Formats: sequence, C-alpha cells, structure tokens
Amino acid sequence: MGTSDPTVRTTPAVDETGDESSQILQTRGLCKAFGGLTATDDVDFGLEKGELRCLIGPNGAGKSTFLNLVTGQLEPTAGKIYYDGHDITEMPSHERVGRGISMKFQVPSIYEGLSVAQNVRIPLQQVADGDEFESRIREILDRFDLLAERQTVASALSHGQQQRLEIGMAMALEPKLMLLDEPVAGLSVEETAEIAELLREIAEDDGVALVVIEHDIDFVESIADRVTVLDQGSIFREGSIEAVKADPEVKRIYLGEER
Amino acid sequence: MSLGSDSSGGLLAAVREPFEGPNTMGNTPAFWLGLTAAVTLLAAMPVLFGYYAAEIGAVFLAYALLGVSLCFIWGYCGILSFGQVAFFGVAGYAFGIVAINVPTLTGLTLGLLAAVAVSTAFAAALGYFMFYGGVRDVYVTILTLVVALVLYTFLGQTAGGEWAIGDARLGGFNGMSGVPDLGVGIGSVGLEIGIVGHYYVTLGALVVTYLGLRALVNSQFGYAMVATREDERRTEMFGYDTTFIKFVVFTIGGAIAGLSGVLFTAQNNYIDPSVFGITAAALPVVWASVGGRTSLIGTIGAALAIQFVDYQLALSGSEWALVLIGSLLVFVILVMPEGVAPRLHEYVVEYRASPDPTPAETPAPGEVHGGDD
Amino acid sequence: MAGIELLNFGFEFVEVFAFIVLATVGLAVIFGMMGIINLAHGEFILVGAYATTFAFAAGLPLPLAMLTGVVITAVFGLVLERFIIRHLYGRLLDSMVVTWGISLVMIQLVRIAFGNSAPGVGIPFGQLPVVDGPVYYLVLATIAVGVLGGLYALFAWTDFGVRARATMQDEETARSMGVDTDRMYMATFGIGSGLAGFAGALYAPVMTITPEYGTGFLVEAFVAVVVGGSSVIVGTILASGFLGSVNAAFTNLAGTFMGQVAMLVAAIVAIRLMPDGITGLLADWRENRGESR
Repeated sequence: MGTSDPTVRTTPAVDETGDESSQILQTRGLCKAFGGLTATDDVDFGLEKGELRCLIGPNGAGKSTFLNLVTGQLEPTAGKIYYDGHDITEMPSHERVGRGISMKFQVPSIYEGLSVAQNVRIPLQQVADGDEFESRIREILDRFDLLAERQTVASALSHGQQQRLEIGMAMALEPKLMLLDEPVAGLSVEETAEIAELLREIAEDDGVALVVIEHDIDFVESIADRVTVLDQGSIFREGSIEAVKADPEVKRIYLGEER
Repeated sequence: MSLGSDSSGGLLAAVREPFEGPNTMGNTPAFWLGLTAAVTLLAAMPVLFGYYAAEIGAVFLAYALLGVSLCFIWGYCGILSFGQVAFFGVAGYAFGIVAINVPTLTGLTLGLLAAVAVSTAFAAALGYFMFYGGVRDVYVTILTLVVALVLYTFLGQTAGGEWAIGDARLGGFNGMSGVPDLGVGIGSVGLEIGIVGHYYVTLGALVVTYLGLRALVNSQFGYAMVATREDERRTEMFGYDTTFIKFVVFTIGGAIAGLSGVLFTAQNNYIDPSVFGITAAALPVVWASVGGRTSLIGTIGAALAIQFVDYQLALSGSEWALVLIGSLLVFVILVMPEGVAPRLHEYVVEYRASPDPTPAETPAPGEVHGGDD
Repeated sequence: MAGIELLNFGFEFVEVFAFIVLATVGLAVIFGMMGIINLAHGEFILVGAYATTFAFAAGLPLPLAMLTGVVITAVFGLVLERFIIRHLYGRLLDSMVVTWGISLVMIQLVRIAFGNSAPGVGIPFGQLPVVDGPVYYLVLATIAVGVLGGLYALFAWTDFGVRARATMQDEETARSMGVDTDRMYMATFGIGSGLAGFAGALYAPVMTITPEYGTGFLVEAFVAVVVGGSSVIVGTILASGFLGSVNAAFTNLAGTFMGQVAMLVAAIVAIRLMPDGITGLLADWRENRGESR
C-alpha cells in the first residue's frame, strides 16, 4: 500500500482525519482485484450527510464490490475509506456497524427461522437499553408496517414484507449511513413505490445518508437527485439524474442492458 | 378459567419473566405447573422407590445434565460438538484424582471445584483454538469427536503402575476405582453426601442449570447466540463478535458437561475410558436430537427416558438397547428432524390457535413433557 | 547404523502412510463429494473385514475373500444410501447424525450376531529381511498407491469423473447441465463404502477383528480428512504423507504411542493453521498468486 504501489494515485486528498467537509463517506483511490480481475478500480467517491445517492451501471460494473468494501466485507487491494472524517480502511466489519454504517444485502438476509420481533431485537439490542426493547420494537414494526406480523416467522413473510423487515432491521441500528443493494429487485410496482417512499423518508426525516444500488432507472428517478455511474470498476459519470440520462456515453455502456 | 392471568398472578408473572421469551418453548403457566409437578415427582422418587432408585436415578440425572450441555451449544448457538463427553470424562477423572488423594471434606470440595475448573479451562482452550483459528461447521464437529477418541486411546493405555497421580491409579481400560462420594465442607465442618443426598444434589444441579440456561438464552446474550446460530455473517454485520460468542458458549457447555461428569463419577465411585468412547459420545447427540435440540426440557426428558429404557433392557439381559437407540435416532431425524419436544410444542400452539370456545390458557397435556421418570 | 535407522523409518512411514490412506479414502470420497462426514465409516470397514474373514473361513482364497468384502460393503452402502441417506441431501448435520445412529446399530448387531470375536486370517507373504516387519505391509503400501492412482484416473479421465467433479463444484449448475446429481451421489456413496470395505478387508489379516474393529481406523481417518480438506486425492495424499511422516519419525524415536500423540499434535497444529485443510490453503494460495499478477 502507499506510494510504493503504482496502482495508487498519489492524491494528497485527505490527511489521517479526513478533510473538513460535510461528507459522511469518502473513498480515495479505492481498488479491489480478484485474481487478475479488477472489480473496483481507483474509485474516488464522496457522499454528503443525509444524501440519497444511487449507484448504477451495467452488470459486473463493480457496484456490489464497492459496497462490500465500504462495509468491510471485503478488504481493498489499495486505497482508503473515510467515514465521518475517520480512516476506517483497516477497521473490522463489526466495528464499522458500531460507528453507524449499516447494510442491506441483495438477497433478503433476515433470520428466516426467527419471528419478526426477534429479528428486529437482534440489531436493536446493540444500541438500545433493556427496558426500551419492547417499545422500540413496536415503534419500528409500526413504522415499517409489520406490527400485525410481529409473531410471524420471517420465512413466512411476503417478499415485500421481508424487504421492509430488513430495512427496519438496518434502521434499528440508528445508522448514519445505510447501503442498500437492489432493495426492490423482484418486487411488484406497489411494493416498489412503498420502498421508494420509505427510503426518501429515511433520508429526509432521519437524515441518514443512503447509497442505493439499483438497475431500475424509474425507481432511481423516483428517489435520487444525484447518481453515480460505475463502469468496469471505475466511476464513469456522476451528476444529476437528468444529465446522466441524457448522456449518450451512458446510453452506450448500457446498450444491451435493461434500458 | 385461566391460570395465573396477568391480573391474578402479577407476582408469579414477575418471577417467571426472566425465564421466558421467544427463544424458549413453554412460556405458559401450564408449562410451569407441569414442570413443578415433574420436579416434585422426581424429588419423590427416593421416597417412593427407595435407596436403589436414588442410586440409579442420580446417574440418569447426571446424563440429562450432559445432554443439556450439548442442547445449549448446539440448539442455541449452532455449534455441533460430538465430543461433549470429553469434558464430562476429563472432569470425572480430575475429581477422582483429587478425591482419592485428599479424601477429606476439604479435598472433596476442592475436587469438585477443581474438576469443573479443569473441564471449563479445557473447553475454553479448545474453543479458543477452534473458533479463533477459523475452524468451522463440520470441522468443529469432527475435531471435538477426535479429541474424545484421543482421550479414549490415551487413558486406555494407562494401565501401567507409572500412570498414577499420587494414590490415584488411572488404571487403563480397567478404569479408576475407589473414587469417594461427594462431600462439601472445610476441615471437619461440612457434609458428606450419601446416596440419597447425592440424588438430590444432582437433581438440584439439573434444575438450577435448566433455569439458569433459560434465563441466559432469553437474555441479550441469548439473542446474540440465536442470531449466530441462524446466520453468522449477518450477525457480524450487526456488530456482534460471533467468534467470541461461540467461544463463550462452548466454554459454558464444557463447564456444564464437566459438572455432570463429576456427579456421574462420584455416584459410581468409578470412571473408565469408555466414557470417551464412540458409543458414549453418541449418547448426548441422541438425547438432544430425539428430545429436540432447541428444547432444553425435551433433551432432559429424552435423556431420562432413553437411559431408563436402556437400563431396563440391560437388567433384563437384552443386548438390543443400542440397536434400539441407534434406530430411534435414525427414525427421529427422518420423521421429525426438529425432535419430539418442538413437534409437541407445535401441536400445542396449533391447538390453542384453533377457534375453540375454551380459553387459550387451559393446561394442554402436550406442553408438559410427559412422565419420563 | 544410520542406514538401518533410515530403513526402519522408511518402513515405518510406508506402514503408517498406507494405513492412513486406506483408512481415509472411503471417507474422503464421500466428504469431498457430498460434504458429509460418514460417522458409520468405521462400521463399513467392519463389514468389509467380517465379510472377508467369513469368506476366507468358508474356503475362498484370500484375494477373492477380500473382493467379497469390498462388494458386500459397497452393496450395503448403496442400500443405506437408497433407504436413508438420500432423504437427507441438503441437510448436512442431520445426515452426519443419522450415520452415527447407523453406526451404533451396526456395532451392536455385529456383536449380537457374531459375538466379540471372529475367525482370524493369517498374515500372508511372511517376514521381511533386515527390518522387522511383514512383507504384507509393503503390499498394502503398493495397494494404497494403486488406490490413489485409480481414483485419480477415475476422476480425471472418465466421463463419470467429469460429472462427479462438476457436481462437487456446483450442484445447481451441474444439474442444469444435465448431470443426474442424485445418481452421482448414490454412485459416490457406493464407491466410498466399497473403499471403506476394502480397508477393512486389507487389514483383516493384521488386526484382531472385534465389533469395535472399525473404531480403530476412525481417528486417523477423521484427522486426515480434516487436515486434507475437501479435495479428495490431493488432500488424502498430502495429509497422509504429512501425518505419516510425523508418526513414523516419533514412533522410531519414542515408540508407537508417542508416534500417535505426535501425529495428533501435528494434526491439531495443522488444523489451527489451515482451518480449511491443506487443499483449502492451496486454493487460497493459488488465488493470491493470481491476484498479485
């Protein structure tokens, strides 16, 4: 790592404590290679506090890899990750969660064998006190419209309910940054609209910064103002949704994809 | 009418509260009533059937405690150990060695403490080694079994006179005999625990462990255990140190298995390497699988019932006990993989949920585990 | 002096290596393919040994008696697979627990049926010159190498092997490409059982046959599979070689018991350093090399 590695661009971007901007998340020269394949290539990414940003790009553009690097599920080959002004590149995954980074996976990853209430309690007890568990669980389930299902085994929920449960579990941790990997994949139009509404609320009312990976451009348009386009592991474009949509180059890399 | 509903049983509910939660089955007054009845019945055994029942019964109860140690780590944290008998046996031998050398009340007390400490430390060392070394799943299962089998081989070859620690001869496959009964005290002040006393001590240990574990699995730590069992990676993402959780759980399991080993050895006044053998190692797995690995009470019931039948068959001179036990295991896994108690629990829940005019809290027979005594 | 010691070490190594390989392959094939540790492995070995001794006692020549042992064990394994194991695919731990139940039943049934001992089979081929040991151990070592070679050929060159490896890699994909994975598992279980029976047959002349006969193979087999990891042939060779040499060295220095102890300590250290076995480490290492390129 460092200057001896030719793949790292020597950007004097931030010192150890990060810069003084209001950015909640920054990456500098972030790289990840699997064998010979470079999945993330020199990514400089920045996200404001409370911003809702969508990450788009063709299949294999390195979107999921990028999220996994931020959560610590993967170790970067080179580069730095700053969260809330601190270098978290070397921080183990579970400590990042403690600092307020929470993740919603692509495949609904809830505890299928446990009840809805048990599911929420597991992240909740990391941040709340014993006497408030019951009321907080109720509050969260109410907000995510799952109160009637509190005793139901999670595997028996509908797909949309599972997605809501998972977002609810992520929110139980009272995060400052939430990363979501295709939260509406396979959902119906109504369910998608519900999730869009929830995410906007989370960003606007709770002030949580969100990074959302999404393929569905309509959905992206319905939630985000700014998008980042990844292609072949690097940032290809970044800007307002209108500008990106109008960009012929973006259309070109998407050719043969969904749109 | 309903038994101990919120209005009439405020105190009872408050007492029950720490032992109840979605992580355990049996959270109704009916269950606790049944449990009290079962414990009372067990406590009455020496009175009803005498000295001899106490002698045999204490061994079954010690086995049940061993079953509980596996149920706790496997059913609640997903660590399948095939070698719980390693901690059981190590503690048994440790108690024997101390007690034979210092057969005073002080020595016996020390022996009990030392034996449990040894098995706990052994489990902690093995657990640390495995979980912090990244050993997982099937590999944990096999490694624990190998540890038990290695102890079997090791103690089997200790027949020679050089294998003696003070006055305690390990004795190879002939085993270590002359282990004194339990005793508690310092100097001449204390209590030597006879056969009937030993029965009550074992029953008490089982009940206290059962209640303690119920409280533990329904606590915050219990949720962390269950979450680790369900999905380790996800649980890590919620900021839990699952490696540490598994380490702690495994160590507690070793301590409980050790305690049961001491109670077993002191009751028999004897221990031999067969406690580490492949057949002995299978028994806790059978009890937990048949009774239901997610049900502490189911495992206890299964251990008592299976060992009782085993004993009766042995008395009648039959050699078919192991065939029966093995077949039972295969049958249960094929037909009701979750075990008997969880299945019964499901029926009870369904029965209560069914639109029936009688109040839901009516004691249902299935909730109370049957007369395994 | 040094010459004879080296020779003794060599002989010791050959003996232990052959034992570990033969005790392990049956287990390793089933583990590598299905991820199941067959707890009834020892009893499959037991079936092979009993079938061999009884066939031999009935007058069959030893090689034919051993073949009988292999065939009977393989058939026995297939029957179990069809009636019991097959219902448990996808339920890894359940299938292990069930095989343990089978093991309990078998040990006791053998005891009930045949008592605590069985007719013996003499060690063929006589004694070696120079080192103290029977020629038969060298035969066993040759057979062990032959078994490994045969398995390699089976997996590398035959149509069955290609499909088996595809199933091992990714069951879903294999199935979508038209591999009948159910039949692959059945065949693998049969082969694994047959190999276990072969071990039982081969060691019938050397070890006393009792209902606990199979247990004598278990520690080595379990340890070697865990140390070797999920790659059947490479794992078995490397684990057997490693454990065999440690065992042989310490047996020569301090006796059989210390040899066993040293081997187990080495195994435990190896598992600590390589939690996914030697072959798991090799896979990681290959990936890392690819990464730095």
